Amino acid sequence: MMQIVIQGLLLSGLYALIAMGFTLIFSVGRVLNLAYGAYLLIGGYVYFTVSQTFGVPKPIGLLIAATVGCAVGLLKYRFLVKPLKGDHVAVEISTLILAVVLQAGVVFLYGDSSKILLPIVPGVIQVAGASVTYNLLAATIASWAILIGLYIIVRKTHIGRAMQAVSMDNKGAAISGVDPDKINMFTWGLSGTLGAIAGVFFASYTQLHPAMWVAPLIIAVAVVIVGGIGSIIGTLIVAHIIGFMEIISVALIAPELRGVFTMILIIAVLLIRPQGLFGREELQ
Amino acid sequence: MTGIRWYHLALWIAFVAIMFVMPQLVSKGTLRIIIMANFLAIFAISWDVLSGRTGYISFGHPFLIGIGAYTSAILTKRFDVPLEVAMPIAVLMTMIGGIIVFLPALRIKGSYFALVTLAFMELIYQLVQVIRPDLTGGTRGMSGIKTITRGAVSNYYLSASLLIAIAFSMWLLMKTQLGIALSAIGMNEESVRGSGLSTTKLKLFAFLTSAFVAGIGGAFYVHYLGSIAPRALFDINFLFTIIVAALIGGASTIIGPIIGAFFLTFLLEFLRPYLPGAERYFIYGMVALLLYMYQPKGLIALMHTGWNKLTGAR
Amino acid sequence: MSHPLEITNLVKRFGGLVATNDLSFHVEQGQSVGLIGPNGAGKTTVFAQIMGEHRQTSGTIKLYGKDIGNKTTPERIRLGVSRTYQVPRPFSDMTVLENIRVGQMSSSIWKMITTRPNHEREEEIAHSVGFAEADLHKTPGELSMGDLRKLEMARTIATGTSVMLLDEVFAGLTVAEIAQIATLIQKMRSDGMTFLIVSHDLKALEPLVDSLVAINYGSKIAEGSFAEVMGNASVRESYLGVV
Repeated sequence: MMQIVIQGLLLSGLYALIAMGFTLIFSVGRVLNLAYGAYLLIGGYVYFTVSQTFGVPKPIGLLIAATVGCAVGLLKYRFLVKPLKGDHVAVEISTLILAVVLQAGVVFLYGDSSKILLPIVPGVIQVAGASVTYNLLAATIASWAILIGLYIIVRKTHIGRAMQAVSMDNKGAAISGVDPDKINMFTWGLSGTLGAIAGVFFASYTQLHPAMWVAPLIIAVAVVIVGGIGSIIGTLIVAHIIGFMEIISVALIAPELRGVFTMILIIAVLLIRPQGLFGREELQ
Repeated sequence: MTGIRWYHLALWIAFVAIMFVMPQLVSKGTLRIIIMANFLAIFAISWDVLSGRTGYISFGHPFLIGIGAYTSAILTKRFDVPLEVAMPIAVLMTMIGGIIVFLPALRIKGSYFALVTLAFMELIYQLVQVIRPDLTGGTRGMSGIKTITRGAVSNYYLSASLLIAIAFSMWLLMKTQLGIALSAIGMNEESVRGSGLSTTKLKLFAFLTSAFVAGIGGAFYVHYLGSIAPRALFDINFLFTIIVAALIGGASTIIGPIIGAFFLTFLLEFLRPYLPGAERYFIYGMVALLLYMYQPKGLIALMHTGWNKLTGAR
Repeated sequence: MSHPLEITNLVKRFGGLVATNDLSFHVEQGQSVGLIGPNGAGKTTVFAQIMGEHRQTSGTIKLYGKDIGNKTTPERIRLGVSRTYQVPRPFSDMTVLENIRVGQMSSSIWKMITTRPNHEREEEIAHSVGFAEADLHKTPGELSMGDLRKLEMARTIATGTSVMLLDEVFAGLTVAEIAQIATLIQKMRSDGMTFLIVSHDLKALEPLVDSLVAINYGSKIAEGSFAEVMGNASVRESYLGVV
């Protein structure tokens, strides 16, 4: 029992981290970034190259991965999303294509086989009969720290309020002196940073593989759909619902079904409450 | 979207004629490539009838194709059902799958709808592996599935006839007022309701038609390949190829997805000697991305512009 | 003889907000009624309820004596009521004629497939709202705001409507365009069309209506001829901001 609780908390923390950057773009930029999973891919592989191949200290490796993620986010906004001027379908399609391109790029550079990422923080601790890797614990702590930081940024700072304004109404924000372009730029960069950091932890939890972007994308999608857009707290809660559902199905029902319940939850929520459990409005 | 003109029919006759003499012109290897292009074109047409017209972007088309393929494969291999019975049942099952995908479209649209269809694809991918693996073959899939015919030439004629039949009937259907109504949904769904038309009925029809084509395509495809594997079918790359074929060919047309399918298939084959593995998708995707960003209306629009420049028309 | 449009005790609540408060009025055959009120008075909400875009909380909406309160929007349109929008919503990649065609279509999918479009009727409708021959194959992107309003009205006419709701038809138009639309409404009135018109432009509205209904905070505050309603103290206070 205790083991389920602990495992659930840890996995949920990771999921919350993964979903956060995706939710951010969905609520502020109002577009679906299907290449979001690619940030995780890039983050994981950059970290792998820097830290494991070149032996750069891990924190610096993480920093470099985050910087590259940020840069990719900014580039994506500047050269893909902005030229398409809010055409949702075009953004969805082109980000999907981009994700496939990036995956192929990784295959090109690193090959098709999976790589093991060494734990960022090695070691295992026994807590109430559950073995907890320091690595996942670190991911969870980092995730919580980032989420709290994000919450403070969005709620308390000037730029956060500007983000909220843009997420509600682009034109209205522009009239009240907020430059939606700058805010979007900032959000895409932030989303890329978060994605890359999540990617490093996710890859060290599972493994590094060119197709590793799909599963986290689906998790992020699930969290956004079930939680509804625009709520950091909602994201956190739903990440826990999904995380615990997976752990419970692995421990008590059947490990193969761990993803199935998530999908069923997505479909059920959409049919019963399309705006999500915590969403305030429907997104077109 | 105007009526049928003489040159439309002339183009169709030319297309059929070229497809007919193709085996005399190219090698068996090339013929095999064209077979794949034919199937891809069928899938792209199926996607376009739904997403290209009504604007309900389906990221779950492999879900529908998979239902058709798996149903027919399971019935023939596990229950020894004859092909001519199994395939219609497969198409019917796919249409039921189409209704399942349609249900969320009653309440959500845009990005949310696209996301659910993606979830449908992941769901069936996981279910196929865990539920009754004795029937589905689990993670490894199935092989030794009955094939309809043997040899490159006869398989080519089969797939080409199928493509022509589907393309022509879809073309005729979309030339009617129904085609206009479906495109109208893609432009402004509220205004279609405001014109007194039931968008629910129209959307259901689009989903069923799309599923019908996907089911036929899926069933014939699996009985051509003789094998099926979940990872190859419910795959983002496969989905990507279908959507991109429709889009870079030219969405909301019939010839567009065909052109797109042939372009992509041959591009992929052209790259094979240089890049043998999955990294081919890098160049392939870049070409698709640039083309899409340059002209979202696709190759068909580029060809129009080129033709007009050539003939000096405006 | 039942009225083309009759609204009785209509109430619409959005959570705690009462958008329509026990509203009753009717429009007689061939008449034109103006619905006026300050911003946020709930005029558009009334339209949305008549068309079934919002479901009323309580009360009845009758079309030619038939209760349409539980019907879907397309069903209501086929029974003979339809509306235009303040912001025109045309089909952007279609020509003027094709836009009208969508309004003309039968709602049966089988008939959509098997019947040919009635080009003569499409052109007749297009000309009747004032489109020139050269405009028929233009797309909405090439049209002026006035033309877009005409296109909305043309598509509405194509549905075979006999009760037309016009929402802020004059907003954003030039003086010349306002005159054109006004002439068009007058012509349609003489052809027997029944109108319910929402407009802020009272000067343009005056010659077009037989009577006015004024609402504020979702409630009716006055009803009668143009002069009567304009002379009403509470209308002047709420709507014009003068006592």
